[in-house]
Amino acid sequence: MTPLPPARPSVAVASLYQTYLVTRHTGRAVRLTIERMVEERPGPSLTVLDFSEVAVIDFSCADEVVARLLHDAHAAHDAAAPHYFVLDGIEEEHMDPVASALARRGLAMAARTSARRSVLLGRAEPEARTVWDALAERGRARAHELAGCLGGDESACREWLTRLDERRLIRDAGDEFESLFVILGADERGEPA
Amino acid sequence: MSRVIDVPEEMDHRGFEELLVDLDRAFEDEPSRVLLNARHVRWVSPYGLIGLLAVGRVIRDRTGHPAAIEAPENRDVRSYAEFMGFWQAASGIFDVPPADPRTHGPHDALLEITPIRSHRDVHTVVERVRERAAAILEKKLHYPKPSVIQFSVMLSEVCQNIIEHSDADGWVCAQTYDYKRRLGREVLMLAVMDVGVGFQGSLAAEHARRYGESWSPATALEAALLHGESRFRDPGRGQGLQAIRRQVVKWDGELAIRSGNAQIAIVPEWDDLPPLQRNLPPFPGAQILIVMPAREEGGAR
Repeated sequence: MTPLPPARPSVAVASLYQTYLVTRHTGRAVRLTIERMVEERPGPSLTVLDFSEVAVIDFSCADEVVARLLHDAHAAHDAAAPHYFVLDGIEEEHMDPVASALARRGLAMAARTSARRSVLLGRAEPEARTVWDALAERGRARAHELAGCLGGDESACREWLTRLDERRLIRDAGDEFESLFVILGADERGEPA
Repeated sequence: MSRVIDVPEEMDHRGFEELLVDLDRAFEDEPSRVLLNARHVRWVSPYGLIGLLAVGRVIRDRTGHPAAIEAPENRDVRSYAEFMGFWQAASGIFDVPPADPRTHGPHDALLEITPIRSHRDVHTVVERVRERAAAILEKKLHYPKPSVIQFSVMLSEVCQNIIEHSDADGWVCAQTYDYKRRLGREVLMLAVMDVGVGFQGSLAAEHARRYGESWSPATALEAALLHGESRFRDPGRGQGLQAIRRQVVKWDGELAIRSGNAQIAIVPEWDDLPPLQRNLPPFPGAQILIVMPAREEGGAR
């Protein structure tokens, strides 16, 4: 009997409530609101941090809103109900604070710019980044289909995909791996989870 | 006993150091009253202006009485102090009558003297400077568009340093001016000060033991600015100053942080501040100076 593929995460968009995401105090308040939103959703979930209205984000606030949020979610990890996060609508100018805050905690997060370019922010090995980029470009793929990006080494590619899945930067959908933006795209098109 | 302390004619970051030498000497006599004589001041920078407030606060705390202050005679200095809101900020620190709200029209100050007491003040400052920063950084100093956001981030982090680490109120102000003598170009000067516990006091509980006998204001400044250490164990902390340092270097700017009896500086080629000074006159809190020079028009930077 073929095992059922894991359920597609439900998608929710978290507004960041502020144009000026500055100060640790503000960041903490925003993070707590998002954490409550995540806790209220049982089962696998994908939370989109909507940066489209953000004018300024500083390093302290980025640490609270993005890095601590992700850190705490990983610490409370439930394999049966994984929580994924992506940043959407981020401007190039906001990437440095967010990427630095993530890197300081050894974390990474998938992001999509306002120009809809996919980018992995934070700390990741060069091979992980290469594989992530290749999957982001294709949307969905099996390990052997992406092996070309690592010089044809399928087993290395599978290993990096597995590690990226463990870090909740992509999703193992059963017979293939998928970019988190595929889940987001399906939700935007109104496809049922 | 009363003491009169003369404010240097050029009241910038170098003048501030001269003033602290005299203040230190004056305190040796344990005066009950102090008069700051600023009549002969011919030039004052944003750092100098809030430096006067910081000195006034320290005198008030040490003597129990607000210091008297003689206003500058120079008309330009007087008018500059007025439009930067010096006299309003001075009320309660110096023995001066409450100042009327400023009535002057628009001017080219990026940020008048603004007290920083809570995170709300940081929000206010960041939101207030946005439009002016765009006009000044892009049009006057020829910085690229993203620098407006980068400047706002820097401003936010440097102001939060007061709230998160000083356990005291502070002030911020920023202004552009022609830095002809040293650089031959316009600069934007950002000054932030508090008279709180300082870097050594803030970091002591977490780091002093590890440094042993070498623990001092200078090592505390090095720990914070060069190694990104914070008073918190949380690895997410301590990145604000590191980020400011990176940004200032990218802009070929200058960053100087004074705390206790030491000063650490990131010094560009166009200036000659020592990178680390010890045994300066002791002064509470932290005093931060950031100088951003105009870019050459059409330059590659």
